[in-house]
Amino acid sequence: MKEERKVAVADRRSFLKLAGAGAAAGGAALMPGEEAQAAEAKAKPSLYRETEHIRRYYELAR
Amino acid sequence: MSRAAGLVGPGADVAPEDVLRARCYRLLARFLSSPPTADELAAAARLTGDDSDLGRAVAAFARVCSRASAASVAEEYHELFIGLTRGELVPYGSYYLTGFLHEKPLAKLRQDMARLGIERAENVSEPEDHIASLLEAMAGLVDGTLGRVLPLEEQKAFYAAHIGSWAPVFFRDLEAAKASVLYAALAGVGRAFLAIEEGAFAMV
Repeated sequence: MKEERKVAVADRRSFLKLAGAGAAAGGAALMPGEEAQAAEAKAKPSLYRETEHIRRYYELAR
Repeated sequence: MSRAAGLVGPGADVAPEDVLRARCYRLLARFLSSPPTADELAAAARLTGDDSDLGRAVAAFARVCSRASAASVAEEYHELFIGLTRGELVPYGSYYLTGFLHEKPLAKLRQDMARLGIERAENVSEPEDHIASLLEAMAGLVDGTLGRVLPLEEQKAFYAAHIGSWAPVFFRDLEAAKASVLYAALAGVGRAFLAIEEGAFAMV
């Protein structure tokens, strides 16, 4: 029983890790003290469209 | 609810994915409890996301934040949630679940909150089932900033009773609301995130 529970928790973790990876920065920047960290991740707004195209391309190429 | 958060923070026994979950809840709660300040908007504009559904939603939200002004967002917030007589949306669980404010779902929430030892801040007169209070409560239960980390089974029960029962519908409405621009993008984040939460709770 206990063993079973452990497995379930591990599955949930890997699920969350996979699904939540994209939000690694989600909310981080709004928490006090984490501003600086988030500032490093700043991207140039003008590049957004381009990166999206490239992402889409990778997606299709998979 | 206490905003003394961050004291327990990503330390101790909280798993990294749970720290992220709490952050996501808090991000949503922050923007839904009142319009963001210019600083908060600027911070949100720096969020990034990867190629997952949630990641894409976060990136889209950041993009909208980078173009928005605090004044325009405050106006949007007012139209959506406050309005001259009433906002476009009524962001309370009881209203979504029964069509009326202050109904049974709120009573049940108060019971659960009392049991968990959390209560609304003294200067707040709003009912506890406002979407932002619920999301903030959930954040605190996930990372322990409201006292202790709640076991997963209990997180799941609290979520199912008070958030999962209506918040996904609320986010869909928010996404489609007429006045919704920045909040449509935030709703996208909310929907993607709650879908993940539901998938994960199904494994508990």
